[in-house]
Amino acid sequence: MATIEPTLDDDGVMDFVASGHVVLEGIIDEAFNQHCNELDGGNIDAFVAGDDFTNAVLLHPQVSGVVRSLLGEDFLVPAGGHHHVFEKPHLGQTWHSDGLSGSGFDVTELQCYYYPHKVAVEDGPTMILPGSHCRAVDREAIAHYGDIMGQVSLTVPAGTVALTRYGIWHKAGPKTNDRRRGMIKFSYHRQAEPVRDWRVDFDEIPAYRDRPRFAYVSEVESYRDRVRRMRTWNWLCGQDTDVELRWEKSRPVSQLAGA
Amino acid sequence: MQAAIKQWLASSRQKLASGTLIDADLNQLQELATEPRQLVLYLYSKSSNMRSTLASWMLYDATKPQEPALPSQTPPYDSVLAAVADGWRIVQFPDAKLYAYQGVDNDYLSFEFILERMVQGA
Repeated sequence: MATIEPTLDDDGVMDFVASGHVVLEGIIDEAFNQHCNELDGGNIDAFVAGDDFTNAVLLHPQVSGVVRSLLGEDFLVPAGGHHHVFEKPHLGQTWHSDGLSGSGFDVTELQCYYYPHKVAVEDGPTMILPGSHCRAVDREAIAHYGDIMGQVSLTVPAGTVALTRYGIWHKAGPKTNDRRRGMIKFSYHRQAEPVRDWRVDFDEIPAYRDRPRFAYVSEVESYRDRVRRMRTWNWLCGQDTDVELRWEKSRPVSQLAGA
Repeated sequence: MQAAIKQWLASSRQKLASGTLIDADLNQLQELATEPRQLVLYLYSKSSNMRSTLASWMLYDATKPQEPALPSQTPPYDSVLAAVADGWRIVQFPDAKLYAYQGVDNDYLSFEFILERMVQGA
């Protein structure tokens, strides 16, 4: 049985912890992209579970390498998926999360979007909000939001796969043309206990190196994000998630005064 | 509005007498007689201060057809205060008690100001 090799290093995993997504542009074979373009919209469980899709997409070395990095050994490979197809102009979906966003510090499910064709901004690309995967919200209560600073429109070349932490805020963006825009959505799940077994150059587990705050995030929200990222990093490394904040390393004055 | 219609009637009677009343005058009356419509603008400020920069925005305009518009990363105003300076009225201020400081879980966008502007016509 072939081994799935992880492709992310510490920095790659830390980036994911902060942003909640990885985008692999133009990696899927063009002939297979063409084949997927011809699929009808709706449930395509049988197609996704079939050998062709499994080999061309689900076990693609770059896709499965990211999954292996973030979900550990012997992760669960999707046995189904859905083909989202938009053909007419529309206002776009409202911002929403799938499932329960913000719960816990774990990474147990990666929801993926595969685009078998090029997506331009006029095509109504999927939009995601980096960093939102940790926000605990009722998905119906963010539906009135409009443009958000730092939002990302996934305008991508054909054969792109985006992997997201389940719960990231996303939507189909506004579509202003009649060109068919499809996306195949599927999810991987974790089985293994978390451990730092992605690509590493040394054994000692480094402390989380924080990433810049996202443009929509306020000051206090950035403090919360920093703590949450450290705890998620510790969880992924199989460590205690109760991180030690800087002030907690301070020493009692009684230990120092007589020294 | 009633004062404007009275003024229109006085002016139009003179035009009628002189034979100069035209279709454009009736269009003006139609606009004057139309109830003003509410535009609603959500602005999400980086703090409760009205001078803070914006994190997000959304305009709901029921006077126009609902058509798709491409995403933008350019806020309509630099701040809530700039929107007020342009004529928007604030109808809801953020309530500090909604933004609990405890814990490390972020949730909804903050700080939510809701503004309105009344427009004639359409």
